Amino acid sequence: MRLRKYALLLLVLAVCLLMLTVQTRGGGTGRITDALSVLTTPFQVVLVKLHRGAIALWTEYIDWKSARRENAGLRFENEGLRLQSLQVQETSQENARLRRLLSLRERLPLSTLPSEVIGRESGGWVRSVTVNRGIGDGIATQTPVVVPDGLVGRVVRVRPGNSIVQLLNDPASTIGAIAQRTRTVGLVEGDPSGAVRFKFMARDGASIGPGDLIVTSGQGNIFPKGLPVGRVTAIEDKGSALFHFAVLAPAVDFARLEEVLLLTGQTTKDLAAAFAVDG
Amino acid sequence: MKLSLLAMALGGSVAQASVVSLLTVSGATPDLPIMLTLFWALRRGPEAGCVAGFLAGLFQDVTGGGLVGVQALTKAVSGFALGLAAGRMWGESPLVQVPALVLVTIAEGIARWALLQLFHYPAPLGALLSEVILPQALYNGVLGAAGLVALTAAEAVRARLAWR
Repeated sequence: MRLRKYALLLLVLAVCLLMLTVQTRGGGTGRITDALSVLTTPFQVVLVKLHRGAIALWTEYIDWKSARRENAGLRFENEGLRLQSLQVQETSQENARLRRLLSLRERLPLSTLPSEVIGRESGGWVRSVTVNRGIGDGIATQTPVVVPDGLVGRVVRVRPGNSIVQLLNDPASTIGAIAQRTRTVGLVEGDPSGAVRFKFMARDGASIGPGDLIVTSGQGNIFPKGLPVGRVTAIEDKGSALFHFAVLAPAVDFARLEEVLLLTGQTTKDLAAAFAVDG
Repeated sequence: MKLSLLAMALGGSVAQASVVSLLTVSGATPDLPIMLTLFWALRRGPEAGCVAGFLAGLFQDVTGGGLVGVQALTKAVSGFALGLAAGRMWGESPLVQVPALVLVTIAEGIARWALLQLFHYPAPLGALLSEVILPQALYNGVLGAAGLVALTAAEAVRARLAWR
C-alpha cells in the first residue's frame, strides 16, 4: 500500500519529466497537448461565455444602480423645485389677491381696514370666519366685511386681537337686499345647507329670473347700498304664497376667503360701481 | 470519485485560464488549481492529492501555453506532500489548512522556478517571489479562508436542515 502511493508519485514524475524532455529535444508534445486541448477548449468556451454573461449582467446591475441613484437625486431635486414653484405660485396668487383688495380699497369712498382670515367655522350650525382684527383696531359689531367679489358678512363678535364674522350663508344671517335690475326688495337669508336665498314678495318679484344680481339695499344702516350678494340661480315658486324665494349663488366663494376688508366707515352712496369694475 | 477528480481538475484549470483574471487585485491572481489540489489532498490523502495536482497542473499547462509538464509535476508533488502531511497533523482545522495553503503556494512556486532553471528560465527568484509568488500565496490564503468560512456555513445549514 505504502509502495503503491510512492510508485504513483514516481510514475507521475516520470510522465512529467518525459513530457518535458520530449519538448526540449524538439519532439514536442503536440499530439498529447492537442488531445488535451480538445478536452479543455469547450469548457473554456463555455466559461468565457459565462464570464462575459456575468460581466454583462454586472454592468447592467451597475448601470441600473447608477440610474437608480441618479433617479433618486433627480427626484429630490424635482421635489425641491416643485416646492419652490408652489411657493412662487402661492406668493404670486397672494400678490394678485392683495392687489385686488388694495384696488377695491382705493375705489371705496369710506374708511376700511384690511384683515386676514385666521380661522373658520363651517360645521352647519354656524358659518363664520375669524379675522385678525379686534377691539384694539376699533372694530365694532355689525361691521360689514367685503372682498373684491362682494359681501362676505358682518362682524358679530369683537374680541381682543380678533373678531368673528358671520357669513352670508350662516343660518342666522339676514340682510336687507334688492334685485339690481328689477329693484325688488327682499331679505337674503342663510340656510342650514349652506345655500343663500333671497326672500321677496311674489307680486313684486314676478320678473326676477336666473342671472339677476342681488345687492344690499342699504336699509337698516348696517350695510352700505350696492354690495354684491349673489346671483339668482333658481326661483322657488310657491304658487299663491305671499313670499317667493330665489336661490342665490353667493358672489363670494366663502371657502377661499383669505384676506378681507372691514368697512369701518359709513356712506350713503351706492357702492355697486366699485365692485362692478372687478367683475 | 475518478470522474469528480477529473472534473475538478479540468474545471479548476480552465477557470484559472479564463475567469480568474476577474479576481486580479493589484496584479495578484489566486491559483485555483493549487487550492483544489490542497482540498483534495487533505481529504483524500497523498494518492488522490498527487493525481489531482497532476491533472490540474497538466490542464493548467495546456491552457496556459507554457512547457507542458512543469505545473503537472510541481502540483503533483505538492498534492502528494500535502496528502502525506494531512495524515500526521490535524488537517481538518482551518488553522492548519489556511497556513498550509499559503506555504504550499510558496513551495510550489519555488519548485516550479527550480524546475524551470533546467530550461534556462530567465527570471530571478527574488523578483518572482516578491512580485508573483508571495502575493499569490497571500491571496490564496485569504480566498481559502473565505472559502472555508462559506463551506462551514453551508455545512451548518445542511446539518440544521437534516436535523429538522
